[in-house]
Amino acid sequence: MEFRLEAHRIVSISLGKIYSARGQRGGLKLHKNLLVSLVLRSARRVYLGEPGGECGLPPRPRDPPPPDCERLRRGGYRPLGSEAAARGRVECPAESPRKRSAVERGQAAGSPGKKPRREAEPSPPQEDMETGNVASLISIFGSSFSGLLGKERGAAEASEPGQVCCEQPVLRSLNPWSTAIVAF
Amino acid sequence: MIPYCKYQQGIHTEIYHPNNIKPISVFSDIISTVEFNHTGELLATGDKGGRVVIFQREQESKNQPHRRGEYNVYSTFQSHEPEFDYLKSLEIEEKINKIRWLPQQNAAYFLLSTNDKTVKLWKVSERDKRPEGYNLKDEDGRLRDPSMITMLRVPVLRPMDLMVEATPRRVFANAHTYHINSISVNSDYETYMSADDLRINLWNFEITNQSFNIVDIKPANMEELTEVITAAEFHPHHCNTFVYSSSKGTIRLCDMRASALCDRHSKFFEEPEDPSNRSFFSEIISSISDVKFSHSGRYIMTRDYLTIKVWDLNMENRPIETYQVHDYLRSKLCSLYENDCIFDKFECVWNGSDSVIMTGSYNNFFRMFDRNTKRDVTLEASRENSKPRAILKPRKVCVGGKRRKDEISVDSLDFSKKILHTAWHPSENIIAVAATNNLYIFQDKVN
Repeated sequence: MEFRLEAHRIVSISLGKIYSARGQRGGLKLHKNLLVSLVLRSARRVYLGEPGGECGLPPRPRDPPPPDCERLRRGGYRPLGSEAAARGRVECPAESPRKRSAVERGQAAGSPGKKPRREAEPSPPQEDMETGNVASLISIFGSSFSGLLGKERGAAEASEPGQVCCEQPVLRSLNPWSTAIVAF
Repeated sequence: MIPYCKYQQGIHTEIYHPNNIKPISVFSDIISTVEFNHTGELLATGDKGGRVVIFQREQESKNQPHRRGEYNVYSTFQSHEPEFDYLKSLEIEEKINKIRWLPQQNAAYFLLSTNDKTVKLWKVSERDKRPEGYNLKDEDGRLRDPSMITMLRVPVLRPMDLMVEATPRRVFANAHTYHINSISVNSDYETYMSADDLRINLWNFEITNQSFNIVDIKPANMEELTEVITAAEFHPHHCNTFVYSSSKGTIRLCDMRASALCDRHSKFFEEPEDPSNRSFFSEIISSISDVKFSHSGRYIMTRDYLTIKVWDLNMENRPIETYQVHDYLRSKLCSLYENDCIFDKFECVWNGSDSVIMTGSYNNFFRMFDRNTKRDVTLEASRENSKPRAILKPRKVCVGGKRRKDEISVDSLDFSKKILHTAWHPSENIIAVAATNNLYIFQDKVN
């Protein structure tokens, strides 16, 4: 699932850019951050395996569309969102979500979702944390700027209550960015 | 290597460095804009530190025919200072984003310079005489005791060493919420426009406390923002017409006679996307970084990350010409995204006759395309290659396979050495190339 790896990497790079943009001299560069958010949206769609064209998006022009895509489109495959969010729940004190995520991880031994995590392990521990955060952020983001603002709360409510407490710290750190956008 | 015939018309025959000039490195800061004035006599540069340096071409003299019009420093001044917006707690950079000259109407020169928020009109004038023989004060300026004055005299003007002074004549401030990316002087010479990410304002040179908003693409809900304005320019002859480009790769032509607010375009230029080239970064690389009218006013040229396109104003659905600037970067977009190079905004310029177009690239390379012969050349602006009277050798990037001698492979390119700003003399084959904090001036070889 090379394309999903690539998508995941692009999502974390993009988030890094958004965070570091806040401290830039001269203020937020609207153009650059708009472009970053568009890349973030495309990568997120690919990562979640959402149908709608991006699934067949080749990461590099010469690669053929990965065969998994066809399986995703045909089968009633559930988007990775909830599983990714489950991984992000590791820090959450609630017992049952953690157990569930462990079970899911065991079950999903061959699933594409596990691979990005394994790939991230050789990197320093801080990046592992970020991988988990990134995965949960992917589930939060809507498909546009609005995904960075109000809508994510609605999405969080729709999913299990156990998720919310973990996403809070992430949301909080997002807020200065969203506040900056609204202030514009 | 593309061979060049000495007397071939079109793209410069042999470009070489004017004798005895090393790269003009008076800059400690990165050059952020370069612009010739309408006669080509003056060349202005702006830098990241808010300074403007103006070069003047030497008059050709019969005594020294080989010194054919070199450019020397004429004036230096601090145009913009860093400021602080207290309301938003944001620093406003002093970096000069654009300089545009006004056509000369008297002995003084006028130019517009802008940073992210404020446009200034500067008057650059010469003083080579000074009055002497005042009655009420002595030569040092000290006031004389009136009771000691016994006779009247008429002050006379005596020659002095040439002094060039720059004074700010107008300051056009507080009209832009977002960062100004373009300014353009109208052909009526009475108005000009300034464009930021979401709005374009029209100014009268004489009035600084008012401007008209002529384009506003800010959505009511900022969450719905999908595109921004990236560049804007007035038509060279029709004072009612201007174009602006967007981050989505589109160009809109507007007519100010149609309505006060030109949100509805008269023409809309867009090329359908090539689906085989789709990637995560398609949107970024299609964002237009510069738009320029040809001198004739018939064509517009746009620069996006990998290509230059020439459009005929009469055909909106696709460009008439597309030139690949550095297509070998297409497979490297992810790395270029990571190191932020993909956001670099390259400019593009026409030559005086609109037959050749030029733009910059990485590794201090710049590219020229001859629209008539369809030939192109890659040249390098570097100290090592710029011996006096040396002819610039065409460079070639090797994209794969066996690398020939003198070729450079894509992976060896230095992405920190980028040429974003270039300028072409309005009538002669003289080009100015800004490579980070070095300015290079190249001229055509003349026997």
